[in-house]
Amino acid sequence: MHSIKKYSTVALAGLLSVSLAACGGNAGPATNNGESAGSGAGEKVTIELAISKSSQDSPFIDKTLLDDFEKETNIRINLQLLPAEQTATVLQTKLAVNETPDLVQYNLASATTDLNLERNFEILDDEEWVSRLENKDVLSAYGHVYSFHISQDTGMQGVVYNKDMFEELGLEIPTTFEAFLAVCEAIKSSGVTPVFMPYKDNWAANIWPAAAFANAVEPSWFDQLNTNQVKWTDVPEFVTALEQQYEVYKKGYTNADVLADSYDMAVGKFLNKEVAMMFMGDWLIESVAEKDPNMNLGLFAIPSGSDPKIGASPLGGQLFIPKQAKHKDEAKKFLAYIATKDVAQKIVNERAYVSNLNDVVTPELPGYKQEIVDLYIAPKKTALTTDAYMLVDRNELYRALQDQFAGSKTAEQVLSTWSDKFSQLMKDKGAEGF
Amino acid sequence: MKIQKRLYSYYLIWPALLIYSAFFVLPAIIGLYYSFTDWRLDRIAIQFVGADNFTRIFTDDILLLAMKNTFIFAIVTVVGKNVLGIALAVALNLRLRTRNLLRAIFYSPSILSILVIGIVFTPLLRTEGAVNRILESIGLHGLSQAWLTNPSIVIWTIAAVSIWQTTGFQMAIYLAGLQSISKDYYEAATIDGATSWKSFRHITLPLLLPAININVMLTLIGGLKVFSEVFILTGGGPGNASQVFGTIILRTFGEGNWGLGTAINTLLFAFVAVISIPLLLFMRRKEVSE
Repeated sequence: MHSIKKYSTVALAGLLSVSLAACGGNAGPATNNGESAGSGAGEKVTIELAISKSSQDSPFIDKTLLDDFEKETNIRINLQLLPAEQTATVLQTKLAVNETPDLVQYNLASATTDLNLERNFEILDDEEWVSRLENKDVLSAYGHVYSFHISQDTGMQGVVYNKDMFEELGLEIPTTFEAFLAVCEAIKSSGVTPVFMPYKDNWAANIWPAAAFANAVEPSWFDQLNTNQVKWTDVPEFVTALEQQYEVYKKGYTNADVLADSYDMAVGKFLNKEVAMMFMGDWLIESVAEKDPNMNLGLFAIPSGSDPKIGASPLGGQLFIPKQAKHKDEAKKFLAYIATKDVAQKIVNERAYVSNLNDVVTPELPGYKQEIVDLYIAPKKTALTTDAYMLVDRNELYRALQDQFAGSKTAEQVLSTWSDKFSQLMKDKGAEGF
Repeated sequence: MKIQKRLYSYYLIWPALLIYSAFFVLPAIIGLYYSFTDWRLDRIAIQFVGADNFTRIFTDDILLLAMKNTFIFAIVTVVGKNVLGIALAVALNLRLRTRNLLRAIFYSPSILSILVIGIVFTPLLRTEGAVNRILESIGLHGLSQAWLTNPSIVIWTIAAVSIWQTTGFQMAIYLAGLQSISKDYYEAATIDGATSWKSFRHITLPLLLPAININVMLTLIGGLKVFSEVFILTGGGPGNASQVFGTIILRTFGEGNWGLGTAINTLLFAFVAVISIPLLLFMRRKEVSE
């Protein structure tokens, strides 16, 4: 009897210590910090690069690139992969407790709102590659260069459409809303769902509004908005734009369950030829082309208002250097390395980027991209979407749009709800004028 | 006078008490302080703002909706899980041949990860999903709903999924309670001519009170603190229709408004304490000891 008790006690203690070890083992990737800080002695330095798991196709973390860099400079880059939905929160925490990585990949526009760009990140104006930049604006905020990228491909937003279907049905690209509805009717009669709306992912409901709003006002209007001189509810075209998007749904031109379908279903829907169009960006075309290069997709401007322009989103996937980084020089070396003519040209060629460095040549672009350049970028028919001007979190706008599709808000109510929330958020930030 | 020989000195409690204080008590007190400030993501200096955060909670539409949804969820799940739990326990305490198998089946959803539940139930609850198809096939077409996208019923749907998931756990506790009731009482009652309902009401329920006590406490506190079920199934949507305290705190922190988030958390803590402590004391008094 006694020995059984002894054995079970030992077993229990062993189990407890094992489970404690399992808990402790989740210490996370931060164990490489504080390694040899000096690189002059030829010792290997390890620096940290934090990036979201959903950005793993970024050219900056390509294994060959990192290996080549390590061979040349003896600086090893350790990747911290952050869970996609928590990227902002994790980075905020790291910045707050001064456990900052040496490099961060993020989007410039969101970094100004989510990560307090001015307070936390290095100004890069004096870096060598800055003088070779074609377009400084896409990497700048508050008058300084804060981020690094070798592409000025900002991702265009509009209506992604299946060109083959349009050709079969003899349809032209609509430039007015009435023409767009007619196109939808024709596609619906052929048995295909005209538009796919995955509004369970509420940000997708803002593609049409963001482009349509930007089409309705001058860029300077947003400066007035951000200083409380005008309000979202002042512009009647905004209400029209929201009503238009809802009308497409009401007329039955979309999937049945818009609030239950999610963005990750989109590629499949296009591949199976179940849908003809979607309000999205050209990144979707790239995703579909990856799966089936024979799919012929294109992009046209959101047909809201007069003389519609393609919506340009602010550039994403840039590298930033936190002010509190322990290895700032090494991090800057990495940026300089990527910016060297040979390395940059290789990346630009591989990814078919529109180069942002004046000594790196833009390669031949895939069909749809060249078309966008010819039809919209060259004749300057692009407009930065509202996202570029926002200094606050837009989640409530997305949710209000969902409410509209759930039937619990009218277009006016969506705008007034968002306007109130926007004022509240700007006031919380201490923005001037609120 | 009885001299009680203490086997272990009280000093042995210090390590646990220290850890508990450092990781629970201290943060709670610090959190209480932060709820009265304008602590934010993008500000270094923090200012005391008094009860501003709390007045905001009671005047903001969405925060009030979150409060309402949390209470709806808590009440529905407390009632659902306990009534069904007792019913299942009584039913599976009878002499059935498949009794053990049935007990295992009803208990098994509670060991599933909430992520799995989310992935399984989201397609089931779509308008063309299995639930509606089954209702239509048995002629109850009128009952089919947009379970997760209709703002007025979404929180009830989530409560129903939660009831499905953990009723088995409640059932297990009730079974343990049932089995501790001596058979003599029932025999005496049958001899005296009591119906099964009467013996349930006057024997089972009173003697089951300790188990009811535990289960109501667990389900109530769990219901008020709900987060994962809502987050996984709807993320608080559509729009803000199914927001609860847990999800709204996440959203508030995400917006960078940390002081307000902490204030909501403090309020939640206050609700849980104010509701569960008196309830606990009340039910303790009603317990009948053998």
